[in-house]
Amino acid sequence: MSPAWSARRRRPVRGGTSTVRRIGVVLIVLWSVIPIYWALKMSFQTEGDARAIPAQFFPIRPTLQNYARLLGSGSDVSGGIRQSTINIVIECALATIITILLATIAAYAFSRLHFKGKNIFFYAVLATMAFPPYTTLIPLYRIMSGFGLVNTYTGIVLVYVSGFLPLATWIMHNYFQSLPDGIEEAGLVDGARRLQVLWHLLLPLARPGIISTALITFLFAWGQFLFPLVLSSDLSTQPLTVVIAALQGRHDVPSTLMSAAGVLAIIIPALIALIFNRYIVNGLLTGSTR
Amino acid sequence: MTFSRGVESSSQAVGQPGAAPSGGVTTVVVRRGRRRFEVLPYALVAPVMIFIIALALVPAVFTIVESFFTVNPLDPPTRFSGLANFVHIAHDKAVISSIGNTAFYMVVGVLLSTAMALAIAVVLQRPFRGRSLVIAVLILPWALPGVVEGILWTGIFDPNAGLINSLLTTLHLGGTGVLLGQSRLLTITLIELVQVWQITPLSVLLILATLQLIPDELYEAAEIDGCSPWRSFLAITFPLARPGIAVCMVQAVIATINIFDQPYILNGAADTGASLTMQTYFISFQNLDFGQGYALSLLITAVTLVISLGVVRAIYRKVEL
Amino acid sequence: MWGNGERSVKRGWRAASAALMAGLLVAAAGCSGGGQPSGGSTEVSGATITVALGAPPPAAALKDFTAQTGIKVKWVNLDWDSLQTKISAAATAKTYFADATDVDWSRVGQLGKLGWFYPMDSYLDTKSMAADMPQLASFTTGGHVVGIPYDASFMVTTVNTKLLKQAGVSGTPKTIDEYTADLQKVKSSGTVKYPLNIPFSAAEGLSTYWYETTGAFGGTVLDKQQKPAFTSPDSAGYKAAQWMVNALKTGLVPPGNINVADSQGQQTLMAKGQVASTFSDYSGNVGTLYNIKSSSSVVGDTQYIPTPGANGPAGNLSNPDGIGIPKQAKYPKAAAEFIKWFTSAQKQADFTGLNGTDKVYSGFTIPSRLSVVQQMTAKGNLDGGEELQAMLKTAQPVFPGGAPSWYPKFSNSVYTNLHAAATGSITVDAAMKAIADTANQAASGS
Repeated sequence: MSPAWSARRRRPVRGGTSTVRRIGVVLIVLWSVIPIYWALKMSFQTEGDARAIPAQFFPIRPTLQNYARLLGSGSDVSGGIRQSTINIVIECALATIITILLATIAAYAFSRLHFKGKNIFFYAVLATMAFPPYTTLIPLYRIMSGFGLVNTYTGIVLVYVSGFLPLATWIMHNYFQSLPDGIEEAGLVDGARRLQVLWHLLLPLARPGIISTALITFLFAWGQFLFPLVLSSDLSTQPLTVVIAALQGRHDVPSTLMSAAGVLAIIIPALIALIFNRYIVNGLLTGSTR
Repeated sequence: MTFSRGVESSSQAVGQPGAAPSGGVTTVVVRRGRRRFEVLPYALVAPVMIFIIALALVPAVFTIVESFFTVNPLDPPTRFSGLANFVHIAHDKAVISSIGNTAFYMVVGVLLSTAMALAIAVVLQRPFRGRSLVIAVLILPWALPGVVEGILWTGIFDPNAGLINSLLTTLHLGGTGVLLGQSRLLTITLIELVQVWQITPLSVLLILATLQLIPDELYEAAEIDGCSPWRSFLAITFPLARPGIAVCMVQAVIATINIFDQPYILNGAADTGASLTMQTYFISFQNLDFGQGYALSLLITAVTLVISLGVVRAIYRKVEL
Repeated sequence: MWGNGERSVKRGWRAASAALMAGLLVAAAGCSGGGQPSGGSTEVSGATITVALGAPPPAAALKDFTAQTGIKVKWVNLDWDSLQTKISAAATAKTYFADATDVDWSRVGQLGKLGWFYPMDSYLDTKSMAADMPQLASFTTGGHVVGIPYDASFMVTTVNTKLLKQAGVSGTPKTIDEYTADLQKVKSSGTVKYPLNIPFSAAEGLSTYWYETTGAFGGTVLDKQQKPAFTSPDSAGYKAAQWMVNALKTGLVPPGNINVADSQGQQTLMAKGQVASTFSDYSGNVGTLYNIKSSSSVVGDTQYIPTPGANGPAGNLSNPDGIGIPKQAKYPKAAAEFIKWFTSAQKQADFTGLNGTDKVYSGFTIPSRLSVVQQMTAKGNLDGGEELQAMLKTAQPVFPGGAPSWYPKFSNSVYTNLHAAATGSITVDAAMKAIADTANQAASGS
């Protein structure tokens, strides 16, 4: 059944009038978009116009030169932008898939099975979220370098996964815990059957949670800078974030060029959010489960 | 708890088995008949545990141990020095003045981003035309690379050519030219607003994920019972969103206590805005005094853990539908 | 995706067990501890070296180099801040990340003490190069040269002659007093409201500005023994700080500048004709910024002037970047070959466009070799060439005793305290004392 359909046939029951919601939506969009607009505006300007005093509130003399330099074939930076976009997509996608897979099965065990040491394991996983990045950077760099994993997708993805697992496990844990107990009752409790219960009954129910977690993990990975900076050595693994920073010269900040790069860098996450939202649109207990 | 009072009867009326929410009660789910050792749970958590041990706990142990050592490539060899690093940090003026700023960032950032995220999530909870698009727009601040975010906000706050100052001048509200760097309170407030702008999308997604679990029937029933939207928020949404709010707040605690880019890019190293993580960076990566840097990191970690635990205690309740 | 059937279950298990193995692998690595022994290869021809620096030179030039030497070059483009973070991480973890990379003048003492760079004198005849490369002095630590400057960077005074003329200022100021009086005249004439650019944001650019101003007042911030030389009110450093803060207080500097960083001030103020002068500017800026039409509205209006000093024109301070070979390099010998080529007079002439525009290295400011600057000036290829040539000849290292190993800590103290003095939260006197304390503690501490 189409999620969109089941969503639409239900009349809006709360949140009061749609006027309130409409105002809320407008405020949300303005809050998110006004600063982004400023970057978008700068991306269509020359450096000189972007720094005009007083500021120009829209591009009076719009130019595509920044985008041409970032995307045009044969420009000095377009090769780097292209390769690093491929890199960041691969790294984020792999990290997301592995994180979700491992977090889901672990969260299932943590939330719905009983075993000795469960709480200790669970809290140990969550506690690692509290480490500041600068604490673990050097030891991780040593470990990765000891195994020849510096400047490999594997190295970067392994570090991402270890960093995002705690949050993902926690969200999925909450999700599984909220699902009714009755679901498993039908199934027998020997090992193999339990996995099948997970696969056939729980996972479909948890799909909105899985999609949300995947989106969150992907976005987390997308924003990484420090770890990939240190764990990559060249364009074969550098993600877009590192390459955009490298557009800066020692004494000059090409703010319009970098704004254009920033605008390009938000397109993929925005598209992914747009596509994936379809799957988290409606409450899960409606429909197929009962 | 709060929730049971308002809606219990109606949820039963809708006929949901097991829907009576158990508030703060930790219910034991699995029957305790069988006591034999089971491999399955361990097999399921093993991959996560291996990752966490190898790539988080092992590095952490390194740093915990090394915080009690003099680890400074400029001052070899690495040697045990007891609490010397901690003593040194406790007397570091920059560290001390960063504590207040960091506390401000954390308190304001966590409360503001959580409140906003909750409000936004409620607005987005129910499907409407274009909701996906709104969520896609909402995540843009989070998706923007940090270095571009820095340029963007520098452009907005620039005392001479910036958006805000130009607006003030254009509207004859007196562009003073000084937004950041002069008044400490104004500086840290604006810096934290930038961070809230950046992290709120994530908080919304975290809360939204739990809101998706709430069956519409509950709201329908509440409406039939004559609950106002505000009451059903208090009786249904908030209690059932508690796990998500807890995750979101812990995540905000971690993000705000580790704030780095925003003050560093917008206000330099000035003590009007410097954060503890900035000091960690200066001590470790500029002065190369890693022992001291780790000691400071360890303290930040400990504070993060204590506050996070407090948040979880206060906010988290097991929810079972 | 979560469909039924055995297949997906199996696939899940396979992925899980693969991840498990990967995890185990890494766990083992963690126990064994990282850090490989160094000891690079002497291989030259056939080696592929990694060069981590700013934007790359033209591909044709690198191809040429490979054809000549058989050494392939993999160029890694990183911004300056990112490079420094990578260098710190690699130096501490003792891992390889490039065969040749940036050596910033300010980190020479620190990285020199770490022994992180190979002494270049064992590969190149640095003694004979010194005459043509005045800034080599900034890269000498413990009697060894650890980096070769690939372009010249030093602090200069730039003025907007059009604005000065409009204000009725004639002649070039020779002393700081004359310079200050000229700026006051610009202000009182109403030509611009705030004529002077000083970046008071608490960042490296503020430290550099103070060093240069201290030089103009006839002194250095640290003496030969690396002891603070700015605590007494009649010392050059003290006077320089006082002058800078006064300039802000008396309205010569835009009040918003307490939150403006070096390049930001140059791009938004100087390049837009909002100020008439930057006392401590970067040596390439007239050519690479102020005369670039898309970034500047003062094309043709700015020029370098000899730095006004206490009693007549003062020297300039060097802040160059060099290129050096980390001890963890895989092919140090090949890297040395590359550096020799990269910093040669021939290449510098190419990079600056003396031999055709197709050979220009964009972003390359001024050659580090005097001989090439001379050629450029002779051909009229360098904006302000005459002035720059003279300044390059006499440009001095910021620290006569070499940059101290505790430089980053010192600089952090300089910019945070000078910034605080500018905002008025502490006095200049207190700022000088606090900076001196940092220097004394750091010097005795390590």
